[in-house]
Amino acid sequence: MIKLENVSLVFQGGSVALSNISTEIKEGDFVYLIGHSGSGKSSFLKLLYRDTYQTKGIIEVVDMEVSSLPKWKIPILRRKLGIVTQEPQLLEDRTTYENISFALEVLGYDAQEIDSKTSTLIDLVELQENAYKFPYQLSGGEQTRVAIARALASNPLVLLCDEPTGNLDPDLSIQIVSLLEKINRAGTTVLMATHDSSIVNRRKKRVLELSDGKLIRDENEGTYI
Amino acid sequence: MNKLSYVIKNTFINMRRNPLLVVATVLAVLVSSFLVFTTLSGRAVVENNTSRWQNGVHVVIFLDDRVTTTAHKQLQDSLESYPEVRMVDYFSKAEAADEFKILFKDQPELVQEVDFEILPSSLRVNLNDPSDYTLIIERMEGNPAVKEIRASGEAIERLLSLTNTLVLAATVFAVLIAFAAFILIINTLRLTAFAKRKEIKVMKLIGASSTYIRLPFIFEAIFESLLGTSIAVGLGWGVIQYSKDSVVAESIFDITISDTYLINLTLGLILTSIIFGFFASYVGIRKALNE
Repeated sequence: MIKLENVSLVFQGGSVALSNISTEIKEGDFVYLIGHSGSGKSSFLKLLYRDTYQTKGIIEVVDMEVSSLPKWKIPILRRKLGIVTQEPQLLEDRTTYENISFALEVLGYDAQEIDSKTSTLIDLVELQENAYKFPYQLSGGEQTRVAIARALASNPLVLLCDEPTGNLDPDLSIQIVSLLEKINRAGTTVLMATHDSSIVNRRKKRVLELSDGKLIRDENEGTYI
Repeated sequence: MNKLSYVIKNTFINMRRNPLLVVATVLAVLVSSFLVFTTLSGRAVVENNTSRWQNGVHVVIFLDDRVTTTAHKQLQDSLESYPEVRMVDYFSKAEAADEFKILFKDQPELVQEVDFEILPSSLRVNLNDPSDYTLIIERMEGNPAVKEIRASGEAIERLLSLTNTLVLAATVFAVLIAFAAFILIINTLRLTAFAKRKEIKVMKLIGASSTYIRLPFIFEAIFESLLGTSIAVGLGWGVIQYSKDSVVAESIFDITISDTYLINLTLGLILTSIIFGFFASYVGIRKALNE
């Protein structure tokens, strides 16, 4: 599903974000990408959805060679991925329902499909009571749920989450991880970047640990050391 | 269909965000298009008129009546032998008097006062190429049968030169205003794109293509450009209609301009405004999409 071979990312000016990373994530996996701030987690994820370009190496995501992907094919890649950023990036002037239906509208669904799929996604993230609330009326955890629902609009094969619990308290963080596990059980591969040790240690999954841009650990049912 | 409705809906949402800028843009396009329309129409009217004159008499050679009519005839024969000359008409003193009476029929006092004996007979020369009038003047100078030579080519050239200068000035002005309109469209789109930066970012993450994100902006720019041009063209047609009926038109110019020319000019301007809007939107939104 995801494969990296000797991937490096060096920014202009020479600072190394990622160095010689090789790893593989199989379909249906749930993987934590851990490491301290600045270890290269976000850069790793951005390479996968082609928000940044590797300096060297080969990257394959959902059968597409991302490392040599022409610009016009990036939207095709992204429709196969669900992307959740640390900031939920919700549209402030739209309700929960509208934030999710907006994604479906952009993806070209017709009005009837938009209505039914939006309701399904709201049910999935358990925000039925908040469907017509605006982002400022939602808690941080609820906002993250809206962002996850929106990311699922395209029925993605892989869900990439960049610190989705970064601004949440431990209880809310666990709720979000439970939701991601539910999505993973339905067949979606999940790669979640986090530096939250309590989550990683409580819900043991495969762990990829980055330090100064290097992959220093790849462990099944790993913990945050 | 759903995508199209999304694009149209967002086009008008975008325009509602900056109504004053939209009005300014439409006005700038309107002024620029109106200048182009009226300038090109005006030039066509002048060309029509001058071409009509050019098909008429190009050089009038007034004859010295003290010289014998045989000499006049010889002069006419030699003129007709020139390859540049298409036709030469002899205009007698009596014919000159008749023409004078017709030309000044509205001023009977003047007609009564004039001694028609002073009106000379003349040879009216029609040339194959009106610009050759200088050759005829050169050849006729010093001929004892010639009293005076007048060439309409000079007046036509002066008029065309004046028209060309006016057309050039108006074109420069129109281009400057079009440039201002171009900048206004870019500025309007950039402000809209800035206001919608989060929406654009989300769309890119979801997997919307650049074209899809760009379309509402393209539609907006084309709509503003097309609206300004359409009003300008409508006003232009109105001005031409008014000019045709005006007193000035009757006394100086014959405002004749073919409908085909006007339709072609209208279509050309509308097509240009679409290309103009498209190009402006491309430049305006490029930065927002690359961020």
